[in-house]
Amino acid sequence: MYTSEFTYHKASSVSDALAQLASNPDAKLLAGGHSLIPTMKLRLASPSALIDVSSLPELRGIRTEGDTIIIGAMTTHRELEFSKVPLLSEVARLIGDPMVRNKGTIGGALAHADPSADYPAAILALNAKIKIQSSSGARVVTADEFFQGMFTTALAPGEMLVEIHVPASVKGAAYEKFAHPASRYAVAGVAVVVHSDGSLRAAVTGAGDHAMRLTKLESEGVSSACKGLVSASDLMGDHFASAEYRAHLVDVMASKALARAK
Amino acid sequence: MNEIPVSIKINGKQVTASVESRTLLVHFIREQAELTGTHVGCDSSSCGVCTVLLDGDKPVKSCTMFAVMAHGHEITTVESLAPGGVLHPLQQAFWDQHGLQCGYCTPGMLMTSVALLKHNPNPTEHEIREGLSGNLCRCTGYNNIVKSIQQAAGVMSQAIPAAADD
Amino acid sequence: MKAVGMGVAHESAKLHVTGTAKYTGDLDMLDVLVAYPVQAIHARARVLKLDIAAALEVAGVVTVIVESDIPGENNTGAVKHDEPLLSSDVMYHGQALAWVIAETDDAARAGAARIKPQYEILEPILGIQNAINAHSYHTEPLRILRGNPDTILEKTTTLEGEILVGGQDHFYLETQASLAFLDEDGCMVVHSSTQHPSETQAVVAHVLGWARHKVSVQALRMGGGFGGKESQANPYAALAALAALKTRRPVRVRLTRHIDMQLTGKRHPMLGKYRVGFDVTGKLEALHLEIYADGGWSLDLSEAIVSRAMFHCDNAYFIPNLMVKGFVCKTNVTSHTAFRGFGGPQGMVLIEDILDRVARAVKKRPEVVRELNFYNENSLDQHTTHYGQTISDVRIGNIWNTLKTSSDFENRQLEIENFNASHPFLKRGMAITPVKFGISFTTTFLNQAGALVLIYSDGSVQVNHGGTEMGQGLHTKIAQIAAQTLGVNLERIRVMPTRTDKVPNTSATAASSGTDLNGAAVKNACEILRERLEHVAAEMLKCPSDEVRFENGFAVHLKQKLEFEKVVMKAYLERVSLFSTGFFRTPEIHYDKVAGRGEPFRYFAWGASVSEVEIDSLTGMWHLRRSDILHDCGDSINPLVDRGQVEGGFVQGMGWLTMEELVWDDTGKLRTFAPSTYKIPTLADIPLEFHVSLLPRATEEKAVFGSKAVGEPPLMLAISVREALKDAISSFGGLEVKLAAPSTPEAILDAIEIVKDAAREIVMSL
Repeated sequence: MYTSEFTYHKASSVSDALAQLASNPDAKLLAGGHSLIPTMKLRLASPSALIDVSSLPELRGIRTEGDTIIIGAMTTHRELEFSKVPLLSEVARLIGDPMVRNKGTIGGALAHADPSADYPAAILALNAKIKIQSSSGARVVTADEFFQGMFTTALAPGEMLVEIHVPASVKGAAYEKFAHPASRYAVAGVAVVVHSDGSLRAAVTGAGDHAMRLTKLESEGVSSACKGLVSASDLMGDHFASAEYRAHLVDVMASKALARAK
Repeated sequence: MNEIPVSIKINGKQVTASVESRTLLVHFIREQAELTGTHVGCDSSSCGVCTVLLDGDKPVKSCTMFAVMAHGHEITTVESLAPGGVLHPLQQAFWDQHGLQCGYCTPGMLMTSVALLKHNPNPTEHEIREGLSGNLCRCTGYNNIVKSIQQAAGVMSQAIPAAADD
Repeated sequence: MKAVGMGVAHESAKLHVTGTAKYTGDLDMLDVLVAYPVQAIHARARVLKLDIAAALEVAGVVTVIVESDIPGENNTGAVKHDEPLLSSDVMYHGQALAWVIAETDDAARAGAARIKPQYEILEPILGIQNAINAHSYHTEPLRILRGNPDTILEKTTTLEGEILVGGQDHFYLETQASLAFLDEDGCMVVHSSTQHPSETQAVVAHVLGWARHKVSVQALRMGGGFGGKESQANPYAALAALAALKTRRPVRVRLTRHIDMQLTGKRHPMLGKYRVGFDVTGKLEALHLEIYADGGWSLDLSEAIVSRAMFHCDNAYFIPNLMVKGFVCKTNVTSHTAFRGFGGPQGMVLIEDILDRVARAVKKRPEVVRELNFYNENSLDQHTTHYGQTISDVRIGNIWNTLKTSSDFENRQLEIENFNASHPFLKRGMAITPVKFGISFTTTFLNQAGALVLIYSDGSVQVNHGGTEMGQGLHTKIAQIAAQTLGVNLERIRVMPTRTDKVPNTSATAASSGTDLNGAAVKNACEILRERLEHVAAEMLKCPSDEVRFENGFAVHLKQKLEFEKVVMKAYLERVSLFSTGFFRTPEIHYDKVAGRGEPFRYFAWGASVSEVEIDSLTGMWHLRRSDILHDCGDSINPLVDRGQVEGGFVQGMGWLTMEELVWDDTGKLRTFAPSTYKIPTLADIPLEFHVSLLPRATEEKAVFGSKAVGEPPLMLAISVREALKDAISSFGGLEVKLAAPSTPEAILDAIEIVKDAAREIVMSL
């Protein structure tokens, strides 16, 4: 299956990519391609230009600065899987299959913001920060600010996600997901993190139209019974799993994740 | 048309062609390099029959990469596994253990397995199951595929090969 | 060296592992055109206007094939002529209304996107119950009756119920593919990924309005078939031929996965409505069963499929009074078709579900009640089926007992009880289920096969036969049969791609009959040739011809031997014919559809399996801890290949019953038409422990070299997985378990809730 036609630019640097992006508002950034290419094949997206940023060295790799780990946006799931980044290494291992993990990148996944993607729950629970760059400069947003809706993020036209900042250490963290048996995306994926200051953050992906914090669990803390964390009426139902079932799965996954994280 | 020169070293041979930027790697391999061992099964990065190795050891789904993304890289396909006609231990094992029926998934299975054994020469059964979870087979029920990889791992670490009939 | 009975590897294995095996889609031709469909966006409608002009403006589009382009009969139906290749009558969502023929896939797709048909929207009939309500059927009801079930059911303990068994997509990894071109005579050559080249040839000829001798079809190999290319390959071959005729250029039709899943028929969803009567021990006394199959928009093979469901609603059990009725519902979805088991699996799921319920009603373990009801060879009247066929060789008792012992059934059951007592959320369950599967096409005339064996004067041999290779190892077994019969090594034998110009009027490679029929025909041809060569060798060896043996590539008499090729060369010089046809027709079988009586099967294949599962009652997730299988392949021609069939069939059956869910929405659109939404088993789903054995000393006198057919029967071994899940669920309440098929995690949770509720009600009423 072919996508529609596009012009291809292999970016030579982040600033080159941003310049390209600024010059063509219809252009899209190409990372691992594992969300974008299938979407383009189905003609659900038909950008006139693709700017390939997947192999920009400045966007790759994982480094520690003080108490923060900085992950380049083009770091692949595979690289994260074999890293020591709290929680994200565990999450990466559950994404797709080895071939998908060899190409897919964390930056691509976050920018795409699929409502069933795994990272968003972890990013929210980790209280990660997202560094966004445009030709006019850089800004850092919190995870809470970043995820705004189905396939919708804080990224504005002309901006690109360049780094993810996560705490270098946490007291405990776990991610539990009920995967769709066919797609392996999360039907309900819950991340729970006990931060070094003792605070607890939890978030869910897959169940609603975008990843969201589990405020009830957070307020109940480590002794939460994980019952009725979300209401079925706030969730999506589909032919694989009803909203009621998803709500139930959120409780179960949260309780498993909490047990491991605390 | 947005044609673009693409040059990929496929199985050690530089293949250069001017193709549309939207040409998928799998079509470049099948049509430009004329290597039809790499198949198209689902065309949506789910079934794994189009798996090839990128830069020697990374299995990727060639239906979900544009050919131009592999420009300047090396691609390895099933056709390269038996240089001089000497079968790779994995090829021999899939043959011996009846790790194939219709054969359509076999090239993808082999390429994923090559990478698996490169990274992990003695995988446990669990690791084999995990490692090949992205390759679908509709015929065999997978049992003989596991046996094939175990046989090859044994041969490659110079252990005694398992017999075809256990 | 013996050839038959050896675990010889697949004859194409070397090609497969080196990536050099070609499929229809790999065959290259100069100037080949491709096709893309214009698909209907309603499940039932009339096309008022189909303007193709816009498509023709797209660069690269060569033509658009529409109904008026068909010179012959506008039909691709296999049995009934109710399947137009192209029609303005929209019968299902996604139906191809026209095909754009272009230089590239992309141009064809772009052209198709430009065509915007105008519709008069009509009301579709969707789902079995709606079809029943609307009296929408393809055929008159079928029925088989023995005894007086209705009278008995008035007098005994009964249970009533309904079970809906879901369908299944074939998900062969190679989608439908055809390549057609005109040869130097102006005749049509079609390469097709088809299980039934002769029917493909017939359909192409019909559509072109030609005699069949102007059409040749070749099936090189398929990347999986499973019944999905028995009749379903025909429209795409016809379309390719039609476009090749119109454009005078080669045309390839290869469906994308999404379109394949939207256009092609699947395993029939079936609804069983029953009333069963039994005594206090759990012995069945009477059964009244109605089976409603969702046939989809056209008849296809549905009547034979429902018949097979009816023939197998007894599975391995003697049911003294039985009425089974079969209905083929006409609905507005894809036309459901052959799929490994051909209705048999649905019939068997129904009776196994019923027996499990009966067992729980009489408070016995299901395996005890199953065993109690087995056909019994030692009792004169308890080994005749409801359609009057006497089962001459009931093998289930031996298989059952052997498997129970080898799987350590009793001890493991105790372990499971202990585990369940100490785990509130995780529950294990185990079940053993039998398989009895009738072998032969139930349409008697199809049970014939031909072969053409050619010996060249250097002693090498080409074998042609009517069967097709889809991975099942037919060609491997055929080569073994030819080698054994001619007394030569396998290296001498080349099995040729299946072609209609070598063996005419063949039957589909279906009904598990590939080896039984074609193997016997090849054996016949080889025997004729061997006999001729015996006379030649006898003269050379100066001995009576009946004392000559052919083995290991030699003609042997006492201590003398002559190389096979020397005998062949001598035969050539003596002007002895070195080629022969062979033929086989299955003897003795017959069936009267109206009376519901006959002996439709040559013999039965038997087997049993034990499966143990563990479910997580918090999520409905489960895994298969262990499966043990003992299966009857007769004297296996190739144990390696047969074990592969058993394992593959079992896993495919498990997929059908537990994870493969087809969902049509209420507009009739299939929602699960991609591997991202339709789940087939992966390596992660197979049993953690898997023990597969073939029944030893199992000669079947009625089939070639004492073997038995193996393609379909093992699929039904997977019913043990479904019954094991029910066993695990029952540990929450011990009452009857209502589990949907497929038993997705949510369905398992629903079933758990039902048994828990029932258990609570009992406690409250005490």
